[in-house]
Amino acid sequence: MDPDSTLPLLLGLAWLLPLASFTLILFFGPRMGKAGLGAGYLATGAILASCLLSLFALFFVWLPHHGVPEPIQHAAGAASHDAHAVGHDLGSLVKPITADWYTLGKFGALRLSIGYYIDSLTLLMFSMVTLIATCIHFYAIGYMHDELHEVVDHEVRLSNRDHLHRPGRFHRFFQYLSLFCFSMLGIVIAGNIAMMFVFWELVGICSYLLIGFYIERKSATNAANKAFIVNRIGDFGMIIGLMALLASLGTFDFGDIDYDGSGQPERGIFSQVRSPENHYALQVPAGMVKNTAPGGNPYWLLVIAGVGIFCGCVGKSAQFPLHVWLPDAMEGPTPVSALVHSATMVAAGVYLVGRFFPVFAPEVLLVIAIIGCITLFIAATIAITATDIKRVLAYSTVSQLGYMMLALGVGGWSAGMFHLITHAFFKSLLFMCSGSVIHACHTNDMTKMGGLRHKMPWTAYTMLVGCLAIMGAGVPFSIWLAFSGHYSKDAILAQALSFTQSNPMYPILSLLFYVAAMGAAITAFYMFRLWFMTFAGPPRDHHIYEHAHESPKIMYYPLVVLAALAIGSGWSIFGFGVQPLLEQARPAGIQLETHGVLLPELIHPDEHDSHLDQFHVPATLVATGTALAGFLLAVIFYGLRILDPNEVRHQFRPIYEFLIHKWYFDELYDVLFVQPVLFVSRRVAEFDKKAIDGFIDNLALWARMVSSLDDLIDRYIVDGFVNVAAARIFAIGEWLHGAETGKLRQYVMFIVIGTVALFILITFYLNSTLAGP
Amino acid sequence: MESSYVTLLSLIVFLPSAAALILTFFPRDNTEAMKAFSLAATAVVFLLTVIMALPGEGSWNFDISLAEMQKIFSISWIPAFNIRYYMGVDGISFPLVLITTFICMLSMAASWSINKHVKAYCILFLILETGILGVFLSLDFFLFYVFWEVMLLPMYFLIGVWGGPRREYAAIKFFLYTLLGGVFMLIAILMLYFASDLKQLSDGQLIAAHAVSSHLDAAEQAKEIAQLRSQADPVHTFNILALQQLGQHTAVFSDTILWGKSLQWWAFLLLLLGFVIKVPSVPLHTWLPDAHVEAPTPISMILAGVLLKLGGYGILRICYPICPQAAYDLAYFVCALGVVSMVYGGFAALAQKDFKRLVAYSSVSHMGYVVLGIAVWSLGMWSVDGKQFNADAWKMGVNGAMFQMVAHGISSPGMFFLVGVIYDRVHHRNLNQFGGLFAKMPVYSGIAIGIFFAGLGLPGLCGFIGEVLVTLSAWPYSRALAVVSASVVIITAAYILWTLQRVYLGPEYKGPHGDHLYPMTGRELAIAAPLLALAVILGVYPQAVFRYMTPSVDRTVDDLAAWTRAVEESPSRSVTQSEPPRHESSVATESLSQKD
Amino acid sequence: MDLLSEPISVSHYMVVGAVMFVTGAVCMATKRNALGVLMGIELVLNGANVNFVALGSQYLRPGVSGIGLDGQLVALFVIVLAAAEAAVALAITLNFYNNHSTVDVDQADELKG
Repeated sequence: MDPDSTLPLLLGLAWLLPLASFTLILFFGPRMGKAGLGAGYLATGAILASCLLSLFALFFVWLPHHGVPEPIQHAAGAASHDAHAVGHDLGSLVKPITADWYTLGKFGALRLSIGYYIDSLTLLMFSMVTLIATCIHFYAIGYMHDELHEVVDHEVRLSNRDHLHRPGRFHRFFQYLSLFCFSMLGIVIAGNIAMMFVFWELVGICSYLLIGFYIERKSATNAANKAFIVNRIGDFGMIIGLMALLASLGTFDFGDIDYDGSGQPERGIFSQVRSPENHYALQVPAGMVKNTAPGGNPYWLLVIAGVGIFCGCVGKSAQFPLHVWLPDAMEGPTPVSALVHSATMVAAGVYLVGRFFPVFAPEVLLVIAIIGCITLFIAATIAITATDIKRVLAYSTVSQLGYMMLALGVGGWSAGMFHLITHAFFKSLLFMCSGSVIHACHTNDMTKMGGLRHKMPWTAYTMLVGCLAIMGAGVPFSIWLAFSGHYSKDAILAQALSFTQSNPMYPILSLLFYVAAMGAAITAFYMFRLWFMTFAGPPRDHHIYEHAHESPKIMYYPLVVLAALAIGSGWSIFGFGVQPLLEQARPAGIQLETHGVLLPELIHPDEHDSHLDQFHVPATLVATGTALAGFLLAVIFYGLRILDPNEVRHQFRPIYEFLIHKWYFDELYDVLFVQPVLFVSRRVAEFDKKAIDGFIDNLALWARMVSSLDDLIDRYIVDGFVNVAAARIFAIGEWLHGAETGKLRQYVMFIVIGTVALFILITFYLNSTLAGP
Repeated sequence: MESSYVTLLSLIVFLPSAAALILTFFPRDNTEAMKAFSLAATAVVFLLTVIMALPGEGSWNFDISLAEMQKIFSISWIPAFNIRYYMGVDGISFPLVLITTFICMLSMAASWSINKHVKAYCILFLILETGILGVFLSLDFFLFYVFWEVMLLPMYFLIGVWGGPRREYAAIKFFLYTLLGGVFMLIAILMLYFASDLKQLSDGQLIAAHAVSSHLDAAEQAKEIAQLRSQADPVHTFNILALQQLGQHTAVFSDTILWGKSLQWWAFLLLLLGFVIKVPSVPLHTWLPDAHVEAPTPISMILAGVLLKLGGYGILRICYPICPQAAYDLAYFVCALGVVSMVYGGFAALAQKDFKRLVAYSSVSHMGYVVLGIAVWSLGMWSVDGKQFNADAWKMGVNGAMFQMVAHGISSPGMFFLVGVIYDRVHHRNLNQFGGLFAKMPVYSGIAIGIFFAGLGLPGLCGFIGEVLVTLSAWPYSRALAVVSASVVIITAAYILWTLQRVYLGPEYKGPHGDHLYPMTGRELAIAAPLLALAVILGVYPQAVFRYMTPSVDRTVDDLAAWTRAVEESPSRSVTQSEPPRHESSVATESLSQKD
Repeated sequence: MDLLSEPISVSHYMVVGAVMFVTGAVCMATKRNALGVLMGIELVLNGANVNFVALGSQYLRPGVSGIGLDGQLVALFVIVLAAAEAAVALAITLNFYNNHSTVDVDQADELKG
């Protein structure tokens, strides 16, 4: 099978199946089966088919064609250095498959289109997303079964103090899930950055709908609004990035696409920034040079474009300072948290950074690294004090996303992408386990749980696997004996170390490594705190404990599948694994060592160098050591309960307060942004009403005053004059009236006298007239 | 051929009026029949335009491959002033005509709740439709103005008689604002008329502008032209196409008349004022919220869906092509007007408590995109070889603006209708007294959320395409404006989502008359569903509109780009220097139009 | 100028006319009887007729060109007019007498303003 024609077909089909499911449920949902149960099966079937198609595409189309990738040589420092000497072997790059499906609009040379860009990263993401989504769909059929009949929402009180009763919305949940899957796969397959943006917005709205699934709960709708609006702030930056790119490069396409069939493909973004003529080294494209005012530095445009695009990622991946929406997003049903807010949508930001990696200038990467580092630290610290089981996981997600961003920012492209994949598996596992617990206990509060492992062993032990995976447990330097998180976190730390050592000019950058290492310890601590509080020790609330029960099979089978993946997704079996596959997708040119332009001493080392022993060994040891330390601390506090956490809490009261209030971000943003915006909007409305309308109304008033003045003038001056004249003439008439006596003889006298007088007058005064010439 | 065009366009424009005439003979008390008859009339007009839209070779089918005016006819009307009954349609006006007839039909269908003076209502409504269609189709400036004023009066009565409690205030405000704009426009029309001179145009330009009949053969045309040239005095004209040619290829409008500014500068400003009031742009927008709040639902639909588009259409059809120099000089001002409207409208919408007022302000914000998109005279994209203008970004902006007009013509009538539906039930519009409608009226709420998302600019719905194209096109023109306009997406999301939350979500309804919240009726569904369906179709298949629109829009932009190129590349950087008719540039335009 | 010593000329006729006119006018002004007034009117008209005839006569004014019948024609016209007028006036008078049993013009002042 020719991958060039087969892959787009397979993935396109896998992409559109959830859309078909969405459409069907939209129109026929309530009539499907008993109370919409059929909708669940339809959506699950659609995503299962997508999953099978994606896996088929990966294993039976891609791999046979491109071969099992070369295993990474962990100690191949010498070979790598040889490669440095002769220049990289650029011919081994696997060319992505890219073209357009459908044009939305075309204006001159500019176009807005729907296309695809398929490489092994796309395939990996497709497989990962559809696989996890399938597990979650099955799980959700169990989890959402309450929605099949009338629901009593205990969190909503009506004005008459009753709980809300409402019909179930089972089908709607699966409708949204299908739409989400379609949108998410759209992001993954996107062939250009504009299409990415389109689906970026669509996942945003799906997330909005799913977070606000319990539309009757004020907190849920607030959280949904917050999520969407905060994401829009990131999108605002992304639009700026899009504008900068389109205006200077004239295209949105990632790859080169031959539109007119001339054999001369039009240059996409990647090959304009890293052109083959320039040996794929980063350069400022000619379009940007032309687009810069004389005297300006066109490099800035590249930086603006990069930072702009990254802004979108900051929003979507909940990075500092836009991380505030994700914990609130836990108001949605737990399957949503597992799918949307841990494994897929929030990872889309990371995916975009990875996809767009060739365009990021070193300075932009530095920004990404710093943002990632700050995020991972802040989120991890907040997770220590949170007691809501889902919020702990949410902060953990934010923190792990920070890790990924950090990895990408320090040049660890495959490390970041690798962590994205492994994290997706174990985090969705953790969320689904927590969902299972919530399903059993009907509460999110960990302080009411405890000892649940006796009641729900499947959940407890799969969750333990998840905890071990996220902590990165494993035997150092082994290929088999470690959980997936171990490998990906190692890779990140090694690259961070390599980066900090390549930049001795900026000693502050070494913080990136130390914070990441410390984060590993905190991660282990809060995850095991969670596990111990939930599953170990004596039950804290007996009522809840008595009612707790293991979830149905349809819910814990997916857990087992994901647990297996959480363990094994980091392995490379006979050279086949996630990491080697990622190497096939590594964008051209990014393995080169790059130097900054604005910061000339900034160096991003070749990622392959991080496999050298000098970085790999200390990083692995540090990672394992810190994780172990965090684990032990958790054991001391919560497992064996040698120390009382309450005591520590008392001793560090200010810090505890600070953390429990989530660093006061929500309060700060409320004061800094929300209130000012509302204030401005009120002022604007007032300005409209008072100033503009007031002005217009006053104008009208003045016009009316002038007109009434005009009326007075008319009435008393102009009309007065006319009336006086009329009155005079009338008086004269009255006076003359007296001469009219009715006496005929008198009239004759008048006539005679008049005639005679006329004659006399004519004779004496007008004689010349009579006399003639 | 020509007679067939006369029939077609006259039928479209005057069929509603004819129906209004027939309506006067209806018995006074049979209101149902009057409404049905009016609806039938609007439906027939809509069908006529749909027939035009269908692909085909017939003389009534709109030819999408043509960028020029088509279906042109020109009949002498008032010969003393060379005023003609002169109409035609192209890709800029046709989508707007289509949306007009469509929205008129839907709003007539939405008029069933009108029970006061039904006959008068229907008659005024139909006359209004004639006025709007006439403005879109007329190519004679005087005719344009006549229709413009014809449209004004029915609207005044429709708001002033059938409106809400403050209807007199709103109606007078609407009337005075629009009349003021009309007066400015009239001044500008006369200025341009008396400055124009057909003799300055080359033969090709005369034929292109249909100043001589295009339905004659070459010899007869030559005879007409010779006759025209033999006249001693300047030959004034109201022909919009000829005025465009004069503005772009000659210097007749470039005389300085006042305070060092040229005639076309003043004419542009006056025309712009007239159109911007209609759009409306900040700070001339305050008639809109009042008019919308007081107008009955169907009239709000027409007002938002169609009337506002006249402003954008006027700017694109008249201001820019006739006064290019002034437009070029003032482009930043116009862009800023658009951006300020976008931001200002968004902020104002956020603070509203009245549902209809909120939607009205969202219209102000959304129409700001139209002004911005038309005005981005961005020729900043230099092609590879030196100083060669590349107007692609501007094309994108104007196409986006036009699309935004169509999209807004679908989403905002939808929003107003949906507000009307709920107002009919509970008789209030206070946003803080809604909530929980989703549970009581699920279908209605689903449609409402869909249409509001279209207003939000969600991909896959019609609002997205226009907004994103306009925003993207702003960057090459001015980065500052582009950044500000991009930030509007945040504020839009904020006010729309907040509204949805307050009205549709939540546990229970908080206002009065809660027991009246019965689900949507079949009639209401029949009005709202097509709007939502169109919003989705245009969102995923924007080519449906672009296919009609793009050739003409591109041609307009190309003409203006050619003009700019000529101006920018001439050393004096002004057309006023070149006094004789510029045949070389006219030749360039001809070859350009041949390329199209 | 002595009229008595001159041969008969236009002036003599005009004197007769003037006398008739004045007599008629005085008659109109002094008579209270409507018939008297009518007679005065006839006198005035005929005084004028004398003047017309005299001034239009070829014999009395030999130098004047024209067919020479202008004065006579006008006089004839005036006679017809006088006859008509007299008929109407007599009818009015008769009517007045029927209503008021008098022909005193001073009694007929009902039409005053």
